[in-house]
Amino acid sequence: MTAGTLVLIVVIAGVVAIVLYAVATYNALVGLRNQIRNAWAQIEVQLKRRHDLIPNLVETAKGYMVHERSTLEEVTKARTRAASAKSVQDISQAETGLSGALVRFMAIVENYPDLKANQNFLALQEELTSTENRIAFSRQAYNDQVLFLNNKVQMFPSNIIAGMFKFTLGEFFELEDSAQRAVPKVQFS
Amino acid sequence: MFWSIIAANKRKTVILVVSMGIFLLLMGYFIGMAVAGPAHRLAGLGGITIALIIWVVMLMVSFWGSDRLFLGMSNAREVDRGSWPQLFNVVEEMKIASSLKKMPRIYIVDDPAPNAFAVGKSENNCAICVTAGLLATCSRDELQGVVAHEIGHILNRDILYLTVAATMLGSILIISDVFLRSRWYTPSVRFGSRSRSRSAGRLGAVVLLAAFLLAILGPVLARILYFSISRKREYLADATSARLTRYPEGLASALEKIGAATARLSSAPSSIAPFYTVNPYKQHLSSSPFATHPPLDERIRILRAMSMGAGYLDYMKAYVEVTRRRVALVQPSELLDAERVEIRGSSEDAGTTRISQAAVRKRTGDMIRALNDFAFITCPCGMKIKVPPEYSAGTIACPRCSRQHAIPRADSGDLGLILSQRSLFSETQHFSQETTTKKVRGASQVVSKIPGQWQEITCGTCGKSFELSPAFKASQRRCAHCGALIFIETPHLTSS
Repeated sequence: MTAGTLVLIVVIAGVVAIVLYAVATYNALVGLRNQIRNAWAQIEVQLKRRHDLIPNLVETAKGYMVHERSTLEEVTKARTRAASAKSVQDISQAETGLSGALVRFMAIVENYPDLKANQNFLALQEELTSTENRIAFSRQAYNDQVLFLNNKVQMFPSNIIAGMFKFTLGEFFELEDSAQRAVPKVQFS
Repeated sequence: MFWSIIAANKRKTVILVVSMGIFLLLMGYFIGMAVAGPAHRLAGLGGITIALIIWVVMLMVSFWGSDRLFLGMSNAREVDRGSWPQLFNVVEEMKIASSLKKMPRIYIVDDPAPNAFAVGKSENNCAICVTAGLLATCSRDELQGVVAHEIGHILNRDILYLTVAATMLGSILIISDVFLRSRWYTPSVRFGSRSRSRSAGRLGAVVLLAAFLLAILGPVLARILYFSISRKREYLADATSARLTRYPEGLASALEKIGAATARLSSAPSSIAPFYTVNPYKQHLSSSPFATHPPLDERIRILRAMSMGAGYLDYMKAYVEVTRRRVALVQPSELLDAERVEIRGSSEDAGTTRISQAAVRKRTGDMIRALNDFAFITCPCGMKIKVPPEYSAGTIACPRCSRQHAIPRADSGDLGLILSQRSLFSETQHFSQETTTKKVRGASQVVSKIPGQWQEITCGTCGKSFELSPAFKASQRRCAHCGALIFIETPHLTSS
């Protein structure tokens, strides 16, 4: 075996390795992108569920909360805005607004013991709590996937493959939770 | 992903399970030698084969039958969404959080002691079982913590490991028992091996001694191994619960309530004790090597010590801090990503109304009765009559007003009908179907009352609606909004 053939073999092996790596990376990227789409679909299902619950909730509360017209209207408006949002960023903003409106609404419910005793309302409230939790959990799953994709798209050497096939950065789904971000109160007594 | 913890943990459990297996084989070898005599060429091998056969048979039986056996032994009933929406919701939330592909089946045991267990060898075929007592005592967050703990068992494949380990323990127990008994009753060596030669005789004595030692010590050691596997898996399931719910306090206060409960689980056979959230036999105060579960207060203290976050790393830190053991359950280096998981606020802060304990207790009772084919009759006087399925007469008299009621006998569809009062969508439909509103004398109206139910009334004057309580007895009422007079007509019922 001459030195020439040896070099040739090494070069061919190198090319094969690079091609294999490219194929594997490409497939991993496609897989991640599909997972993100799937995770996003899950979030949309839950958001839709929340939008469907709100008219029922408002309808039930209306009979009791005569003097809280503005709060109820605010919830309805926020819901309409959220239902018509399209891009990830718009949806994030609108849903944050809706969550805020619901928190204010629930705070006011505290003043209406009759409403709190209503079976129908309690069932709706349970559904709403569950939906909020589902949104939170599926959002976390979605953001995890986005982080993985973004790492792949930005890090060397997978960023070369990502650039060649035009993989773009995923968008995080952020819901600003005012209660969570608030500075914890410390009391010395 | 964050399930990388499974890989790290698997290794330790596998080592324990394998050492138990080696122990089983050793026992088979020496007992085989002792029974057939060391001179016999196939004695040790034969013993090993027999031990293996016993184990494989037990394993196969428990693999294909254990789910149904466990659920059957503890009298569990499979339920759907309508029976207890909150439980169903919580399980589904945890399914989303853990990205399980399939929803676990849900079972309820009619038992006042709060507890729960999970069965199923794989993620796609598993079930979670909770007691009625758990539903009655726990708040939403606490229920979520317990369900997440069970999901943790499923995700960490604990049921698989415990089944393998339990069958090994069982085989060791059987072999040592049979050997010791046979020696006890027939002390003389029957197999004639001793008489062959003096050296064989000495060897025989050594083998016999080893066999006795293994037969006596084996069960004890195997139990210690088995329970140490079981305890380790409990800590991990707790860690998974905190990670999934992002709210360690939920499980902590649930464990506190379970520990404080006075009712004892009556429906659990001792063999399935390690599968419960908390050992149903109240061993949880001790920290002996024979305990299936770690001491309850230690588990609670670890969960409460997680102040910085809800990730696995936070649990491991809290574990080392509380137990003062130098070796963590899982080394931080074994976790692929040091993720940051924030603790969320309790769902009560977010506006979930606490329903009174008594009301929840009543509802769990009703749910169990509905599952057990009780007939529910709401009397116009407001009395709710619950008729057991054993009651054979066609009619029953209301104990308060002595009206006669025909008993609607349960077809299978009846359960859904009874429980639909709780399911929200069917309820809103009920209102629109059943409320009849007539307009008479200009502005005022006459509404016929539906007995024994909350009823929505739409005012004919202002168009707003309000609710009429089932206890409402008067013949007229003013609209809550505009003050217009509405006549309430109670349908005339013939009483006997």
